[in-house]
Amino acid sequence: MKRFLSSITDGKGFDILLVAFPLGYLFLMSGLPLLYNVLMSFQEVDMFSLGTFWRPFVGLKNYRDLFAQPETLPILYNTGIFVVASIAGQFLLGFGLALFFWTNFPGASWLRGLFLVSWVMPGLVVGAIWNWILSGDFGVLNFLLRESGIIEGNIFWRSDPDFSLWAVILANIWLGMAFNMILLSVGLSAIPKDLFEAAELDGANAFQRFWTITLPMMRSSIGAIISLGLIFTLQQFDLFAAITSGGPNNSSNVTQYWAWDLSFRQYDFAKGATISVIMIVFVMFASVVYVRSTRHEVRG
Amino acid sequence: MSEMMRNRLMLAIALILAAIYLFPLYWMYITALKTGSAMFATPPQFWPSDPQWHIYGDVWQSRNMGRYLGNSLVIAFGAVSLICVLGVGCAYVLARYRNVWVDIGLFLILMLQVLPASLMITPIFVGFSQIGLLASPRFAVILAIAAKSMPFFVVLVRATFMSVPQELEEAALVDGNSRIGAFWHIVLPLARNGILVSAILIFMQAFGEFVYSKSIIQAVELQPASVGLNSFMGPNTNEWNNIMAYATMYVTPILAIFVLLQRRIVSGLTSGALK
Repeated sequence: MKRFLSSITDGKGFDILLVAFPLGYLFLMSGLPLLYNVLMSFQEVDMFSLGTFWRPFVGLKNYRDLFAQPETLPILYNTGIFVVASIAGQFLLGFGLALFFWTNFPGASWLRGLFLVSWVMPGLVVGAIWNWILSGDFGVLNFLLRESGIIEGNIFWRSDPDFSLWAVILANIWLGMAFNMILLSVGLSAIPKDLFEAAELDGANAFQRFWTITLPMMRSSIGAIISLGLIFTLQQFDLFAAITSGGPNNSSNVTQYWAWDLSFRQYDFAKGATISVIMIVFVMFASVVYVRSTRHEVRG
Repeated sequence: MSEMMRNRLMLAIALILAAIYLFPLYWMYITALKTGSAMFATPPQFWPSDPQWHIYGDVWQSRNMGRYLGNSLVIAFGAVSLICVLGVGCAYVLARYRNVWVDIGLFLILMLQVLPASLMITPIFVGFSQIGLLASPRFAVILAIAAKSMPFFVVLVRATFMSVPQELEEAALVDGNSRIGAFWHIVLPLARNGILVSAILIFMQAFGEFVYSKSIIQAVELQPASVGLNSFMGPNTNEWNNIMAYATMYVTPILAIFVLLQRRIVSGLTSGALK
């Protein structure tokens, strides 16, 4: 007993104790729900069987029903567009800004940090602001586009099925761009400066230097940032709740909103769990890519 | 072109870019001060001609914002305390050793970090309702947020502990300190700033959290400000000046903290997120 106690204050037991509680907590609060989710996707869950663990098993019925629904494929397609367009926009704009601030002038690092305000704001507030900016008749974005001659009539961003998804994408690009920029800046500042000086002496122009030095040297950061972008984009929920609520007629619905909508609006918890399982498999895949691309840094 | 001219030019371009980027924030502040008719004017006013300062008091009263923000604070403080108590020790151990178990632990933590809240809420809600946790919904939300945000906190704080020289801790052990003593008196004080910045980041996230609160907390008097904002924005609302006044009062404290601590927050974030 004495050895046990002294191990806790002064030995391996101390480390094990410090790790055991948090990992146990995470297992209880994230691991078990994850497994429970898989279980529910094979069960029949309704309002009456919500309180018990022993619900009738239905095998793959939930999955079959899900893919028999007419809205499933369009929503999966929307999710694909949302993810690809958001990541492309965030990454390209973020990279452009990172390259610009990399030129290093007085005040650069402070101003660069200021861009990150978008990231610390509550998602719902960002959604509310963009909802107002994108408003059809009185939105300031329509006004600016009209004045600059890009569009003739107002675009009804939130209620036109052709634009509703793009309204959320626009807000999401704004939200995530700064985070991309900051992480890319870190990658850029890690490239040794003498590489560029050598290339300049050899007569490489700016474009060649970018193509042959910057991009190859940034390869692992870019991999990490794009997989992080995929993870964050698939987590985006607040903007949908605040701007379009998935409407009109599911034209801006994506899986992560739909899963919640099925569970908490239509009380179809089994379907909500089913779509969650499918998407979590996707996210896990992205996170394996992320962990792999940062692994050399994790090991130090 | 001289160095100074170039610097001035770059700074000017940077300021213009920042102004464009921060325009949505500006629009929030300006819209809140407009009158009902100025809000819907064409062309829109980019500077309010008749600022309505009393709108803040009105919205605070009519939307009962004190209660909403109080709930947000309770949830955010609860979640951050729980995360700090559990996460700091975990980050310390994961930073101190290099072996296959640490790699496995880190891998598990990184995997848990990526689970989207809107997908995890279904099993969490059903599970919580079965064990009766929904009777104290704010506590349930704190538990769920802690599970969601702790991995990120551990990753950030681990980077801080990595920068504490291990020789200092070893010296303390040689001098007769126990492991607990060395951790408590030497390592923790040295890592304090990093832990504080990470805690502030987690606090900001928890303060704006929406999915869990929306799904778990049914009683209006226990809901946080994010859910209050959501119920304020009906599908066909035209009270945009009131909504923007609400949003202003909600985010201005967060923005103020961010601008004050910006340098530390950005460096804390970048040291952790890519490592």
